[in-house]
Amino acid sequence: MNSRQGRRLQRLRILSQFLFLVLFFYLLVRLAEGGATRPSWAGFFFYIDPLFLWLGLLVRPFLRVFLLALVPLLLTLILGRFFCGWVCPFGALHQFFTWLGPRPPKKAAVERPELRLKYLLLIVLLTASLFSVQLLGWLDPIALLTRSGATVILPGANALLQRALEAGPEPLYALGRRLLLFVSQRTSIQAIAIGSIFLVLLLLNLRRRRFFCNTLCPLGALYGVLAKFSLLRLAVNDACVKCNACAGHCTFYGSPYKDYMKSECVLCCNCLADCPTAAIDLRFGLPGRGRRPAIDLGRRRLLGAAGLGLVAAALPLSSPERKARVRSFLRPPGALAEEDFLEKCLRCGACMQACPTNALQPAVLQAGLEGLWTPVLVPASGYCEYECHRCTQVCPTRALARLTLEEKKQFKIGTAVIDRSSCYTYADGYNCAVCEEHCPVPEKAIRFREVEVANFRGRLKKVKQIYVVPDLCIGCGICETVCPRTDAPAIRVGAEEEQRGNPAG
Amino acid sequence: MVASSAILLPLAARGENQATAPARPVQAGAVVQVKGNSPYEATQRAIAELGGMGKIVSRGDVVMVKPNIGWNRSVEQAACTNPEVLRAVIELAYAAGAKNVVVMDNTCHRAEDCYQRSGIAAAARKAGAELRFCDENRLALHDFRGEYLGKWPVYRDHLEVDKFINVPVLKHHGSSGLTIAMKNLYGILGGNRGKLHRDMGENIAELAAGFRSHLVVVDAWRVLMRNGPVGGRLSDVEERRTVIASTHIMHADVAAAVLFGRDARELEFLQAAHARRMGEIDIARIALKSLTA
Repeated sequence: MNSRQGRRLQRLRILSQFLFLVLFFYLLVRLAEGGATRPSWAGFFFYIDPLFLWLGLLVRPFLRVFLLALVPLLLTLILGRFFCGWVCPFGALHQFFTWLGPRPPKKAAVERPELRLKYLLLIVLLTASLFSVQLLGWLDPIALLTRSGATVILPGANALLQRALEAGPEPLYALGRRLLLFVSQRTSIQAIAIGSIFLVLLLLNLRRRRFFCNTLCPLGALYGVLAKFSLLRLAVNDACVKCNACAGHCTFYGSPYKDYMKSECVLCCNCLADCPTAAIDLRFGLPGRGRRPAIDLGRRRLLGAAGLGLVAAALPLSSPERKARVRSFLRPPGALAEEDFLEKCLRCGACMQACPTNALQPAVLQAGLEGLWTPVLVPASGYCEYECHRCTQVCPTRALARLTLEEKKQFKIGTAVIDRSSCYTYADGYNCAVCEEHCPVPEKAIRFREVEVANFRGRLKKVKQIYVVPDLCIGCGICETVCPRTDAPAIRVGAEEEQRGNPAG
Repeated sequence: MVASSAILLPLAARGENQATAPARPVQAGAVVQVKGNSPYEATQRAIAELGGMGKIVSRGDVVMVKPNIGWNRSVEQAACTNPEVLRAVIELAYAAGAKNVVVMDNTCHRAEDCYQRSGIAAAARKAGAELRFCDENRLALHDFRGEYLGKWPVYRDHLEVDKFINVPVLKHHGSSGLTIAMKNLYGILGGNRGKLHRDMGENIAELAAGFRSHLVVVDAWRVLMRNGPVGGRLSDVEERRTVIASTHIMHADVAAAVLFGRDARELEFLQAAHARRMGEIDIARIALKSLTA
């Protein structure tokens, strides 16, 4: 293949990456848009992720839509790691930052220990998942990008754009606000943590090409294992003058004539474009028997990684959070009982992106280290909108059960309690009832009774004192969100009587 | 006396002038109440009976039409202003020569949901009005010059228009008893509005006294009788098929309260308004023209 054809393939690859990246963010933004329609397409990238097919096989019931992941799996057996090079939206970002990075050094070299790490990580995560501890979502590129997009990239972009427009003239600002900005700015309690990790991962590309993909990505590792046996390969013909130009831009610092490793090649086609003598061809053929350069994991490392996986599983299993009877946080509506939930939740943040009120937030350590980045409902940030069930519709694994709107309206997320030592109607002896006003339950789960009390001046006064009807309360949290106290809300929702642990509920 | 200069009411409606004509109802504070076949026609008729939109909107005016879009509830649930009433008002304003009609509200639920579900967005667009969302950057301190309510942040959009038309829905409200036109003005406010639920009656009165509504059109087509202001249950809604119009905000509220079945004298916010001499609290002393179309 001559370099013109090579360049054409290379450009086609870049175009494909760009389009998939755009598609990814289009679907992500669509998750947040209003309306009752179920964005079934929004889960596209999850459904074609074989790691999630694996997780799906470990839990009941099995969701058949994840069988879509067989398509890229089978295609990988034919083409190799085309997904990493041509489809993966996170890979596209890494490719872009790699391109931004410094020009290649004269003598590039394959660093096997770095390439090896991702396989070991995959083994750790897969081993842990066998014991119901499911941490793949922390590193899976689709979950990682969804989570970062929902909590940092989109809100951050919105905030920057808002500031930029504010600096401009008023009509431009008004137009921009209407066309480009979200009506309300979202915030995330983990924006700094998740954003920093994301930024570091991108910046690491400036040191090593596609660092995340080559070194950490468990999905890339899975595809790498399969790509070893793929039919398509790069073949060097007699025209090769061993100039090593092909190594110049190789995504994993290999070169087809010396260090070609099918498991690492993402078909970026840079070598095809760089070869001055048209010495590299794409060929189909059965995987050869001869010894080829390969990543050698070694028995000891394999066993070590598996052992580490056991530890990764043992630690959360021997921690109290899974079985805790008392919980300090709320889960979104439809959340399964905690153990099932943790096993199914991908920590992807799709629910957070879908939540119109910014109520769903990534957990820090409330749910244990295992529960890092799982969704919690934080009324201080937003309430569960009575007329909405989007989070339950978009959860790719149904860790949030797919509730109809009517079911969701009945689903008890928790129960509100009043803090009489700070509620204005008790502590200060004056009327308020903002929570009562907002309570969406038609029969009103928050009510007031008029009583005569002595206020802080000692005068007798009629006050409408607030109380909660626990059996009617669904725990949506709007009362806590709107409580006008600015130190701490005088009414708050706790996990008391939450429905999810109680199937009979 | 509450800063009287801020009470932007027709002079004749004010208490001090009533000493000269105690028994006669005051024309400038007249109220028209129309029971009709459709909310759209009833609105047209009520405004026509009041003397027409031409008396309120001048050629070239920028007009704010402020409905109640507080909640993510459907038209049938009657928690927001009927979109057909709104559409009629917008169209009449344009017909009277308005340059631009703006529709906005500071909602309680998420604004996009409320605008959509209430049917207000569709109606406003159909009538050619500009639909705006509240923007924190456009808050300005407005002095209501009240005893309870002094300076408070208001969305500038409401201060920058030539005419302000208040188009509330009549419904039950837990803490204030009813919410009509005076309470509807909470929707022009920013800031921690929840704080204004203390001494709510006084605040509502001073809000209405310190900010002028050039015209009030009360939607009482479907009325949420219980569990307001958000409601939700259709069994709590009654069809009253009525629209009330007046240039006098307090009188419109008194008439609407009576229509609801409440004695206006029992409602704290009307008591507070009466104490501030904003108008009559006794429906018998208000020029009420009630007709069935």
